[in-house]
Amino acid sequence: MEELILKLKQEIIEVLNLEDITPEDIDNDAPLFGEDGLGLDSIDALELIVLIEKNYGIKLKDPAEGKEIFKSINVMADYIAKNKTK
Amino acid sequence: MEEPIYITGSGIISAIGNNKEEVLQSLLQEKSGVAEMRYLQSEHTELPVGEVKYSDQEMRDLLNLPADKPANRTSLMGTLALKETIAEAGLTEEELKSLTFISGTTVGGMDYTERCFLQMPEDDEALKVLATHDCGSTSLLQAEYFGMDTSKVMTTSTACSSAANAMIVGSNLIKTGQADIVIAGGSEAITKFHLNGFNTLMILDHEQCRPFDETRKGLNLGEGAAYVVLESAASVRRRGVKPLAVLLGYGNACDAFHQTASSPDGEGAYLAMEDALKMSGVSADSIQYVNAHGTGTPNNDSSESAALRRVFGDAMPLVSSTKSYTGHTTSASGTVEAVICMLALQHQFAPANLGWKNQMSDGITPTVGNPSCQLDYIMCNSFGFGGNDSSLIIGKYDESQLQLSDEMMQKRQLRKVYVRAISKHEPGTPITNLSDFIKPMEARRMCALLKSALVSSMTALREAGIECPDGIFVGTKFGMLSNSEKFLVQMCGEGEHTLSPTFFMQSTHNTIAGMLALRTKCHGYNITFTQGKKSLDCVLKDAAMQIALGKLDNALVGSHDESTQMFHDLLLKLTGEEAPVGESSVAMVLTADPTDALYEYELGK
Repeated sequence: MEELILKLKQEIIEVLNLEDITPEDIDNDAPLFGEDGLGLDSIDALELIVLIEKNYGIKLKDPAEGKEIFKSINVMADYIAKNKTK
Repeated sequence: MEEPIYITGSGIISAIGNNKEEVLQSLLQEKSGVAEMRYLQSEHTELPVGEVKYSDQEMRDLLNLPADKPANRTSLMGTLALKETIAEAGLTEEELKSLTFISGTTVGGMDYTERCFLQMPEDDEALKVLATHDCGSTSLLQAEYFGMDTSKVMTTSTACSSAANAMIVGSNLIKTGQADIVIAGGSEAITKFHLNGFNTLMILDHEQCRPFDETRKGLNLGEGAAYVVLESAASVRRRGVKPLAVLLGYGNACDAFHQTASSPDGEGAYLAMEDALKMSGVSADSIQYVNAHGTGTPNNDSSESAALRRVFGDAMPLVSSTKSYTGHTTSASGTVEAVICMLALQHQFAPANLGWKNQMSDGITPTVGNPSCQLDYIMCNSFGFGGNDSSLIIGKYDESQLQLSDEMMQKRQLRKVYVRAISKHEPGTPITNLSDFIKPMEARRMCALLKSALVSSMTALREAGIECPDGIFVGTKFGMLSNSEKFLVQMCGEGEHTLSPTFFMQSTHNTIAGMLALRTKCHGYNITFTQGKKSLDCVLKDAAMQIALGKLDNALVGSHDESTQMFHDLLLKLTGEEAPVGESSVAMVLTADPTDALYEYELGK
């Protein structure tokens, strides 16, 4: 799991151009969206949907599903571990 | 209240008909044109689309175009719709030569570009397509067909409100006495580029769209073209023609909320509708039918409902979205729907909102059709990416309006316009002070062109001592080239899956003006023109007109372009012209107040 979490953080930093942020800066339990955490927005959510399809073979049909899945790094890693097809 | 603008001709081509009569019959018989994909060569055959029922070759044949004459689907549909428009208005060859043509498109020649994009560097035949790729040259192809003066062609590119904005610019040209006759409208073909783009944003319905329905899942993409002839009262008299309808009012405002989403309270839409009503002198309770933007996306229909409630309260007029017939014709939708409104006015019926069954919890209740009703005043809404929201009020013509026009024209005094500040960014120079204007987290998705546009604009505003301008005007030759190129590389190279939504949402020409509105919190007039080297002239003219008319006291004007290595090499090979790699930005502030003026801008010169 540790390995997946690190890989996921690196992928998120790259795809969302979070230039000044390192994997250590992202708290595994902090919310990814909104002011209290990383501060991502709805376009980032769409990029994350593309990311999990491209890298883990998980296809979401409804953007609303992302809300639950992208709550935090831990929740996201857990979902990917359970559902990945590649 | 302002004088009406006279509409003396109209033409349309869309999924529900190749001319006005066919469109009228489809509306009356409640026949949608959205169907299985037939002409577009896309992997996404699961997506229903509203295609015009002609192949490109069939349209070429109808227009008698020689095989070596360049054209694209957008210009072909546009030319067919123009033909009907010109015939109905009875315009002579002489009149065609002297009128102004304003066309809205965002796609331009992308349909041919995307077919041969990867071959362009090696294949000279493929490279030729680049010459008519940009939006401005697509409008020129149409103007040339009819022998119009190409120096009087303007192209508006504000995504899905482009055609409505073409009508607004045309009307202001008439009110400032710079034109007597204007043909305004828009044309847009479906391309793989924007079908996939909308798909990455997850706003396409895989079934027939259901605007304002609780179960709606998104829009169906459509295509088409429609134009209207706008005239001054003097021109109507001189030509001895009877107008079909009048454009009584119009509003253009910016939501300044998000690049691709509408605000929950529909602020931009609300402001556009209020401005249009105010100009028309028609009260909200006199509007009998609203042709809504109503795309069928969860976001638009809920936001538009909120805005409609703010304008009409509990006395909601009949409302429907005719996108359930035509699909979303994007840049053409403003006039496709304005022409539908004129048909409704002429034949006294309200088109049905097809497919509606379930009441939205937070939405208005659309009409399922009213075959016979009294219509005198109609509102037509068009909203676009970048928060570009426009609204039109169309009414019946009566002869007494001509008198009013004469009086208003006589009384009108145009104000002088001054340039107060200019700021430039040259290609190859670094952007050093971005952090003065934006936080790194907010800038992370911005391409270099957006950064140079932001820094030059904010610098000009600071020099002019203005925080929030009254209006934002952007001109661009090729628009958001680097993002479009990245999206094309992905789509043509890797196929039509897992494409980046960020590249697409920042590929539309109006991304710059939308971003500037967001940064300055400017809800005022917002427009983007793309007319090759004349793009800056177009924006200066439009901004100066609005200041001269007293609609705005100041304006942020700019011309922003970028070039990539690939584009540089292609353009050099095709034209021998150098487009230095990097970003070039010019930002200016125009004001009505002569204080600290650098010089006076003379409108009409």
